[in-house]
Amino acid sequence: MSTPTGLSARGLTISYGDRTVVEDVDLDLPDGGLTMIIGPNGCGKSTLVKALARVLKPARGKVLLHGRDLWEYRAREAARHVALLPQNPIAPEGITVGALVGRGRFPHHTLLRQWSPQDEGAVAFALERTGLRDLAGAQAGLLSGGQRQRAWIAMVLAQQTGLLLLDEPTTFLDIAHQYELLELCRELHEDGRTVVAVLHDLNQAARFATHLVVMDAGRVVAQGPPAEVLTAELVSSVFGLACDIVPDPRAGTPMVVPHTRGRIGSPDIR
Amino acid sequence: MRVAIPVSRTSVVVAAAVLGLLAVAAVATLCLGRLGLAPADLLAALARGPADAKQAFVLERLRGPRLVVAVGTGAALGLAGALFQAVTRNPLASPDVIGLNSGAGAGAAFAVLMLPGVLPAPLGALAGAVAAMALVYVATGSGFRNPGRLVVAGIGVHAISSAFTQYVVYAVERDRAAALTAYVNGSLSARSWEHAATIWAVLLAVVPLVALLSRRLTAAELGDELAASLGARPQGTRVAAVGLSIVLSAGAVAVAGPVAFIALTAPQIARRMTRLPGPHLTLAALVGALLLVLADLAAQHAPIPGNLPVGIYTLAVGGLYLGYLLTREWKKGSL
Repeated sequence: MSTPTGLSARGLTISYGDRTVVEDVDLDLPDGGLTMIIGPNGCGKSTLVKALARVLKPARGKVLLHGRDLWEYRAREAARHVALLPQNPIAPEGITVGALVGRGRFPHHTLLRQWSPQDEGAVAFALERTGLRDLAGAQAGLLSGGQRQRAWIAMVLAQQTGLLLLDEPTTFLDIAHQYELLELCRELHEDGRTVVAVLHDLNQAARFATHLVVMDAGRVVAQGPPAEVLTAELVSSVFGLACDIVPDPRAGTPMVVPHTRGRIGSPDIR
Repeated sequence: MRVAIPVSRTSVVVAAAVLGLLAVAAVATLCLGRLGLAPADLLAALARGPADAKQAFVLERLRGPRLVVAVGTGAALGLAGALFQAVTRNPLASPDVIGLNSGAGAGAAFAVLMLPGVLPAPLGALAGAVAAMALVYVATGSGFRNPGRLVVAGIGVHAISSAFTQYVVYAVERDRAAALTAYVNGSLSARSWEHAATIWAVLLAVVPLVALLSRRLTAAELGDELAASLGARPQGTRVAAVGLSIVLSAGAVAVAGPVAFIALTAPQIARRMTRLPGPHLTLAALVGALLLVLADLAAQHAPIPGNLPVGIYTLAVGGLYLGYLLTREWKKGSL
């Protein structure tokens, strides 16, 4: 078995009651990479990132943070290394964008060390990085979808972790804002962070990811550079969709062109 | 009580205003009515001790302890409600909704009517409250972790306790049952310094723990998953907050009986006064104290025959104000 990266999983199994959702996953998220996790609905993508962020406790196996069991860390200590933006975070009523971003500073506080200039600095940086500086005083509840998602990203940025996990960050955004957010993910990764995102759109994942992880029925079935991983056979076997893979005319990355019924030479959608 | 974000000026101003109102209501409690001290005498009596036997009686026996009990009980209830609502994310939840008050009522009924002379009513109430909460804890199947189950199990326990109280009241003669009614609604008449010491001791023990918990409560507002990823352990936070909320409410029940509605309304009023996010723990405690002192003023001086217990007035005062706020928000479309 290879040396674990900053965040990795060994034999990771996660269950809700007696239903196993993620089974025996070995995974090394490349340090400094932009990893995207894809897979059909219900394949365990979200469950996997929750376990990687110490939100769900494994039934068996381990998540390793810098080679050490994530559950051996104190909760707050782990939260200074790994941040997660879940699918449905709740914005408290009446909160401003600046205050919301400040909530990301929680793991850096102790009973004796409360709000400090470092916190101010982290919040200012996160607002700047996500282009929200002028909206710091605005009510979070009144933001547009794209702005709101950037505000949440700013919140996890203020957490100042080396690892950033995003669970379907582009859902509910229109196509322009989806790409805006993906560009932001790429920039954050280029800043030196390890960024991991669960994504539904295969073409977006292939275009932006440096490392692609494909899940099916609770297991990791393929991982590696998008150009090697994303094949017509894989899409057919994992998603049950017949397709051609052509190079993206813009980026050269693999692009999925699904076959549809009724056209010559595209006989089946399974 | 600091949260992760610097305390805002709005909340300080609002808290000072509520504190000012509370001071006015306290002076009114001591000065109003046939037995009240003249306001000028009050200052002198507080500084140098009572000037005569009447002042001594009013300050030290009649209204002084009653006021101190009212402030402490109101604060405990307000804080209990704020804690409970913060971790259940349900603005209509409070320990009374999950059967704490009706459990206390059932305990008091059992003590006073079935075992007269064995157990005093407040101890019976305390035992009833604890028993009801233990029943809720078992009935949810997951302790106090799941807010939805907590409320459903609580409503069941509430119904069982109310039915038990009804049964006990039916089972004994009518005149003895009448003695219970004042207690079951919550009352502040004839409170002693021992009652005051009890509720303030509970506050003194619980408030530091709440202060330790307050930052995690703020993180818990973001939802369980985000709170967990921030290292705020939402499940443990919820269990601790519900536990402390129950201790505070049980303390309040022991000294004043099951006073309705303060725990439910005080946090809501506090939130609407500041229009800021966050569990307004300090402010909810102050508002709770103010509501109960005001309700007790009404209980003492309202021109209604028969000296209604204070619990009836908390329903009226708190309920009317909450109703006013809700209608206002309804009209603005923000509800």
